[in-house]
Amino acid sequence: MQKVFNNKMAIFLFVFPGILLFALTFLVPIVLSAYYSFRDTLSPGTPSAFIGFANYTELLFHDSRFWLALRNAVLLGLGFILIQHPIAIFFAIMLDRLGGKAEKWFRTIFFIPCVISVVVISKMWLSLLDPTFGAFNKMLDSLGLGFLKHAWLGDSSTALISMLFILIWAGFGWGLLFYYAGLKGIPDDMYEAASLDGASGFRLHWRITVPLLSPVITVQITLAMITALKQMETVFLTTNGGPGDSTQFLAVYLYNKAFSASQYGYANAISILFIIVCLLATYLSNKLTRSDATEF
Amino acid sequence: MTKSTKTILWVFFLIVALVQLFPLIWLVDFSFLSSNEFYSSSVLKWPSDPQWQNYINAWVDGKFLRYFINSAFVTSVTILLTVILSLTLGYAFTRMQWKLRPVFFTIILLGIMIPIHATLLPNFAIFKALGLTNSYLGLILPYTAVSVPLGTFILTGFMRSIPKAMEESAVVDGANIYRIVFQIIAPLTAPALVTVIVTTFLNCWNEFIMASTFLSKDALKTLPFSVMNFAGQYSSDYGSQFAVMVLTSIPAIVIYAIFNEQITKGVTAGAVKG
Repeated sequence: MQKVFNNKMAIFLFVFPGILLFALTFLVPIVLSAYYSFRDTLSPGTPSAFIGFANYTELLFHDSRFWLALRNAVLLGLGFILIQHPIAIFFAIMLDRLGGKAEKWFRTIFFIPCVISVVVISKMWLSLLDPTFGAFNKMLDSLGLGFLKHAWLGDSSTALISMLFILIWAGFGWGLLFYYAGLKGIPDDMYEAASLDGASGFRLHWRITVPLLSPVITVQITLAMITALKQMETVFLTTNGGPGDSTQFLAVYLYNKAFSASQYGYANAISILFIIVCLLATYLSNKLTRSDATEF
Repeated sequence: MTKSTKTILWVFFLIVALVQLFPLIWLVDFSFLSSNEFYSSSVLKWPSDPQWQNYINAWVDGKFLRYFINSAFVTSVTILLTVILSLTLGYAFTRMQWKLRPVFFTIILLGIMIPIHATLLPNFAIFKALGLTNSYLGLILPYTAVSVPLGTFILTGFMRSIPKAMEESAVVDGANIYRIVFQIIAPLTAPALVTVIVTTFLNCWNEFIMASTFLSKDALKTLPFSVMNFAGQYSSDYGSQFAVMVLTSIPAIVIYAIFNEQITKGVTAGAVKG
């Protein structure tokens, strides 16, 4: 057995292609990105001067957009954790109690938005929230709430919250599925023991389900923060960071800096800081939530 | 649970499901309308004269078939590569004994945390220099690289729970390491592999930002582009725009309907208990 597990040739064949691919598309680019971040390049490959940490000092000390993008990510992450996840847990518990065919059917339906392409989701919500023909404002009208009508994504005071709403709609199914799967892993006798002790209904779930789900919850919180930080496509395709940076995110910002504003070196500095922030966020949330392993 | 609470729960879920699906229902409904019907006051509208022309526009001018084939090709190759690489990496990380194992494992796991958007700019430069932009490979390589870390992670978690006795008896029977991995371990990890396949499928099939950065040649574009191309060409014809969105969504929904049961099983087995 040892001989099989020590087979050097097999280890090489198993590991090398994956590591090579990963190095070529992740590690080498990051090194290249770091190189460009110290230069005043306008587009890739053009001659440029070495400018040291100038891009970084500009970003960290003079660029309010960078901080705004970070703040938006934190707000979005908190939105996920405080709104999406409690709802997902609640629905997972209810689904679990429903049982039978209905359980399966509803689980299937709730996941459907998760399989829709981000381009469709973005364009669809752009239309749904459109101030002139969008269904959302029409609905408010028909409910007699016409005074609430709004250019939801076009107004800087409501754009970020609308974005949160869209992303919760699109991602709810995944959250539900993970909590649901976590619930299925809780043995039934836990509940039986607790009901014998007189716990029932809400108390039963608060005392038994939620604590037993805590490994799943901690992982989901980490994932929620990372998802918020990495947010790009939906924003890019709906508001492109606007209006007035109210939905600005790091990925959108760096993309526009590189490809629209022709500040390639600067964009690469954002990239490097972006990676550092993501690694830091993962490390911190793992530490804070004290998850036993980096389980998915 | 009493019968009446069950009914209440049922009705509650039904309402929530309708609310949640409403945007899609609306999309389908309005894809049959002509653009001047869009501005009527009703939220949903029975099409007085269903505009099938919208779907013809979507199919023809959305270049649906061309893009669909491109998506199918890129996604299948990516899934195949991801499965093979994650399986072999996962096995090397859980069972094989070698010195640099923890180092390489950490490096691969970094891939879950590093945002792909941060590698987008340098990759664009590299791919351009290598002539990989405007090629299928220019999408397949980064898609696979992005999918492998998560795949490896899910599979290592799952493989740890497989008893070693399986491999031991295989060795006794004279199987070599490659047979063990591909003929014994691979079928045993099937539930986790399904999770890997499904997440990879969803990520690649719907991916847009890398595709739009690395591709400019029309013949290679993937399905999300049918929606993007359309927005400009039919800027005021919302009915046709909606039709192309409906068409684009159908393949993923069909695949999901087929594999729905395995997705849940896979997530339960592969991701949570793993």
